[in-house]
Amino acid sequence: MARQEKKKDVVIVGLGWTGSIAGIELAQEGLDIVALERGHDQDTVPNFEYPQQIDELKYGVRLKMMQKPSQQTLTVRRNDGETALPYRSLGSFLPGNGVGGAGTHWNGLNWRPQPVELKLRSHVRDNWGEQIIPEGMNLRDYPVSYDEMEPFFTKFEKVAGISGYAGNLNGEIREGGNPFEGWRSEDYPMPPMPTTYDASKFRDAAKAMGYHPFEAPAGIASTAYVNPYGMQMGPCNFCGFCERYGCYQYSKSSPQTSILGALKRMPNFEYRTKSEVLRVELAADGKTATGVTYWDEEAGEEVFQPADIVILSSYQLNNVHLMLLSGLGEAYNPLTGEGTLGKNYAYQMNGGVSMFFKEDNFNPFVGHGANGQVIDDFSISQNDFGAEGFIGGSYWRSGTFNGQPIRNMPLPKGTPSWGAGWKEGIGEWYGHAMSIGSHGSHMSYANNHLDLDPTYTDRHGRPLMRMTFNWQDNDLRMNQFMKRKMEPLAASMNPDIMQAGFKDIGAQYDVRPYQTTHNTGGHIMAENAREGAVNRYSQTFKAHNVFAMGAGNFVQNTQYNPTGLVGGLAYHTVHAIRTQYLSNPRPLV
Amino acid sequence: MTDLPGYPSRRSFLKATAAGAALSGLALPASAQQTPKPVSLDDYQREYLNADEWAFIMAATARLIPSEGDGPGALEARVPVFIDRQLASDYGTADDWYMEGPHDPNAEPARGWQTPLNPAEVYRQAIPAFNAWCQDTHGANFADLNAEQQDAALTSLQNGDVALAPELREFWGILLGNTKEGYFADPQYGGNHGMQSWVYIGFPGARAAYREWPERHNVKYPLGPVSISGERA
Amino acid sequence: MKTFLRILGGLAVLGVIALLAFIFVPVQISKPAQVLAADWQPEPGQGEYVMHASDCVACHTAEDGEPLAGGRAIASPMGTIWSTNITPDAETGIGEWTYDEFRAAMVDGIAKGGTHLYPAMPYENYRLMKEEDIRALYDYIMADVAPVKKQVQETQLKFPFNLRFGIRAWNWLALTHDAGFNPVGASDLQDRGQYLVEGPGHCAACHSPRTPFMSQDGVTADDDSFLAGGVIDGWNAPALRGEGSAPQAWSVDQLAAYLATGRNAHSTANGEMGLVVEHSLQYLTDEDNLAMAAFLKGIDGAEVEATETFATKGKGSLEVPGADAAGEATAKMLTEANPDMPLGARLYSDSCIGCHFASGKGAPEIFPELQGNHMVTGSEAKPLISVILNGAEVPGTAKRPMTLRMQGYANRMSDDEVAELATWLRTAWGNNAGPVSAAEVAAVRGASASH
Repeated sequence: MARQEKKKDVVIVGLGWTGSIAGIELAQEGLDIVALERGHDQDTVPNFEYPQQIDELKYGVRLKMMQKPSQQTLTVRRNDGETALPYRSLGSFLPGNGVGGAGTHWNGLNWRPQPVELKLRSHVRDNWGEQIIPEGMNLRDYPVSYDEMEPFFTKFEKVAGISGYAGNLNGEIREGGNPFEGWRSEDYPMPPMPTTYDASKFRDAAKAMGYHPFEAPAGIASTAYVNPYGMQMGPCNFCGFCERYGCYQYSKSSPQTSILGALKRMPNFEYRTKSEVLRVELAADGKTATGVTYWDEEAGEEVFQPADIVILSSYQLNNVHLMLLSGLGEAYNPLTGEGTLGKNYAYQMNGGVSMFFKEDNFNPFVGHGANGQVIDDFSISQNDFGAEGFIGGSYWRSGTFNGQPIRNMPLPKGTPSWGAGWKEGIGEWYGHAMSIGSHGSHMSYANNHLDLDPTYTDRHGRPLMRMTFNWQDNDLRMNQFMKRKMEPLAASMNPDIMQAGFKDIGAQYDVRPYQTTHNTGGHIMAENAREGAVNRYSQTFKAHNVFAMGAGNFVQNTQYNPTGLVGGLAYHTVHAIRTQYLSNPRPLV
Repeated sequence: MTDLPGYPSRRSFLKATAAGAALSGLALPASAQQTPKPVSLDDYQREYLNADEWAFIMAATARLIPSEGDGPGALEARVPVFIDRQLASDYGTADDWYMEGPHDPNAEPARGWQTPLNPAEVYRQAIPAFNAWCQDTHGANFADLNAEQQDAALTSLQNGDVALAPELREFWGILLGNTKEGYFADPQYGGNHGMQSWVYIGFPGARAAYREWPERHNVKYPLGPVSISGERA
Repeated sequence: MKTFLRILGGLAVLGVIALLAFIFVPVQISKPAQVLAADWQPEPGQGEYVMHASDCVACHTAEDGEPLAGGRAIASPMGTIWSTNITPDAETGIGEWTYDEFRAAMVDGIAKGGTHLYPAMPYENYRLMKEEDIRALYDYIMADVAPVKKQVQETQLKFPFNLRFGIRAWNWLALTHDAGFNPVGASDLQDRGQYLVEGPGHCAACHSPRTPFMSQDGVTADDDSFLAGGVIDGWNAPALRGEGSAPQAWSVDQLAAYLATGRNAHSTANGEMGLVVEHSLQYLTDEDNLAMAAFLKGIDGAEVEATETFATKGKGSLEVPGADAAGEATAKMLTEANPDMPLGARLYSDSCIGCHFASGKGAPEIFPELQGNHMVTGSEAKPLISVILNGAEVPGTAKRPMTLRMQGYANRMSDDEVAELATWLRTAWGNNAGPVSAAEVAAVRGASASH
């Protein structure tokens, strides 16, 4: 018999970016709120303190900030014919754990999608016709437009504290910004970050080829900063420990720097850590949720937390898993196209070029996660899909992000991986290499989806989620296109040695090397219950008092890092709850 | 707010009493000593590895990162100490990993770690198996081969030419990976002794503060490293 | 309360002979400074506000104890002093006290029954409070504070300090000022600030010097030594007037921000001042924090520029200052990062430069500047040593909810290294203060370790 807690107006599942946003915005309505967080409590003070945080082995390699697979994981297969095997140790993607979630250990790259990315099917249809859409690609429009999302992107960027320079200010294209971005109602909250040497070389080469370089938009503070909640950031010191680390300097946008201190002061908000939600409980008629049942780690028992509104704000993979386990929709069947949960899982298609300059010193440890100059000249809005034979695009970026030597030791091809040759190589080349990365879109396909595994279970006896995922030709063709375009640019910089790394047609998904933690889709937004799991307000079609936030809403992945869109959608959703739902709880669409 | 020890306060008298009880576990050292000279590798008290395994690790890491040439070798960096301690830690026992069955150790490598063994068990089973292979192929345990033979044996291991059970497939990967970790990790884990590897490549270690440097283009950062504990080199 | 240690020393100076003489001086009970109408009622919330402004909680609440229920232990060489229960519990608190008895405690330091309070209770300052505020506070405690039955341990000091009547002699020297408030009349805003600073805020208790008998030297605004800086148990309570003082260097809004949020463009409040911000000042209205700021700004006669807002939310980007002329040479040396730099600079580069930067200027509202920072350059080195060893913390407040913390480096630096670093800091960027020895560091470390 589960213990039962006092009923709350709102229960929030997962206290990362979206849970924190929901918490503070709904707490401002006076609602009585509890957030349940699976992991531990953590804050800049004292969890991310210098110098203990500057420990590559502990955090960079042993991944002590991340979700432990022993606690929660999933199985992976590359097609329906394979037996899925557990993702036993972390590799390809790194879901976070604890208060702040992945928002504590990200790189800080904060992008808005391009307007056409939110209406990509229409963009393709209008320009080339739907016949260019490959068989099996579930290309979709988002049920929201850029224009209606703009205020919410702006809001999130002010809260998160983003550094950058607007390239499109209310329609005016400005030199030095990104000319291909959607319009901005205001400039970035902070000026752009300074440009490191490698980035300046890339910038100059890109300009010489007629491209349009700009400093990457960074959830990294270029100055001191005070956000609308009174929360603060300190100026970044280019310590080079962003991704996989909490920021000791208060410089990286995170729930800790942006929201939590203000939220925790609100008397109508409480949060419980080591509280892992096992399922959302539905009313007898199945049309609303009554609350959630969670595992109280300290007490070692199940607890029922009744609530009027349930906000699912855990990591995308965990949100989808929880919805599958709770019956918040039907599982997607790729053969029939029926069902919505687990549909349109997508990822990211990346590649890059490494360049070695014997005489140049790049000081690779002087950097930050969102460092670099970028070009968007091969972005989704700029590519001729019909002519090039793919749908998608990428942004290119060059800038030092960490020089941590266990993991970041680029060596020319042919250098031995051990022995005297390796030792000589690291002495010769450390600090003399730079790279350009291509960060590309990933479309959604019937073949790539999420459901429940028939064999493996978690520590609570629940079936693990099963990921069916492999690279698809469309995105690989996009990647090869980028290789063809990038190599001449890299060569124009006259490196002593250069080498490209772009997946090619036939590449198989490998769970071992880190790629990105940009897992998207699975509870996608749609106009109706047949096509998606949630509506334009992230409200589930199944139960109108359940809202599912995060990148699970993405109908396909954009070419950008997802946080900006995740944050914008979260503010869009809580705005709808505040202005439309609370006064009259009902399906909003 | 919680008063910090030694901090000024109108109420600071109380610190010797009430707060004292709460903080008594936090006795501060009289001074932050620089790292004392460690025991020799021969006298090191092992936490996980047995004598044969230690002999193997000493010999293997000495070839993976040899002492000759510029920069420290694995032995100067005390990489074997690092590996021993890691295998005795929650890394060795794979505490964070999902280790439930069924296991398919024959799955192709791209499917990730699929052996039922944890890293410590992989070392324990693979070292004698590899030694047996060295016996068969080169006539002696790995540690007793000459450097040339050792390099040849390691190359065979790297290339998959040593017939290990599929459960031990990850051995080469973790042996090389752990060796480099021990070479470059903060000295608090037992390796990277004296931060020699950081000095060698020019990595400033745990300094992590370069606000004045992003726009100093193509100027080599000159200052030596500092460790988490405050060692300077 | 730390001041009390030295007050006790002052008492010893007075000596037993003087004590005996003063035994025959009658107990002084002040009359109300102002007569309230019979039907006078405090404004809603007034009493609670006065409680915050007077920072009663700081002393009268035990660690993790019920608010105002007393029992905070104050260890001293003469024995442990225990703060009293001032909840309205009849038996263990002040539930049986009449208003006149309450006023006598606030104004004259005399408890119900005639016992003298140890002057850890800042009645030197509270006697400047308005009658209506004292009355409002009394009404609030009696009506709105829940009685807590908690017998607080009795304070028993060693002879002669257990002879409380001796305090009568001290009071005769200390309480030379009339009860009640006398505005200077600079402006309504500054007068309000003067009142809060002199009376409930009891700022002079730390920030004024002490007489040889350890009473406050400068209790009211008309005294030149008022807030001219004090030294308490090895800690500087910096001067709030005169050349180089914060009110001279900072704008009114920066001063107000410091009071209300413990942080501003230059510095952060921590330690004792952090506690004042946390328990008291953050609960005051913006107007009152501005009033105190305006009063302090004008204390030496400077023109006070009115400002209406400070520490607003959503302030956005705050530019980070670079090195100024005085700090340029140090900044350049640190920026070059050459291995042959002095050890102090190397230690700064290893542990401090990340937040305080080569400029020594830190960053607004988050990383305090070290150039010209009174804690770095004060006559007393103990605070600087303590911060290096043990760190510092700025509490979150309503307007700035983030808790800021500097970690300590006790485990990263030896006594010699801390002394090198501290000595270097005291001369970097044009700072001009004397060296710090390893022995001084060892003493602070030892005191910390005994906790």
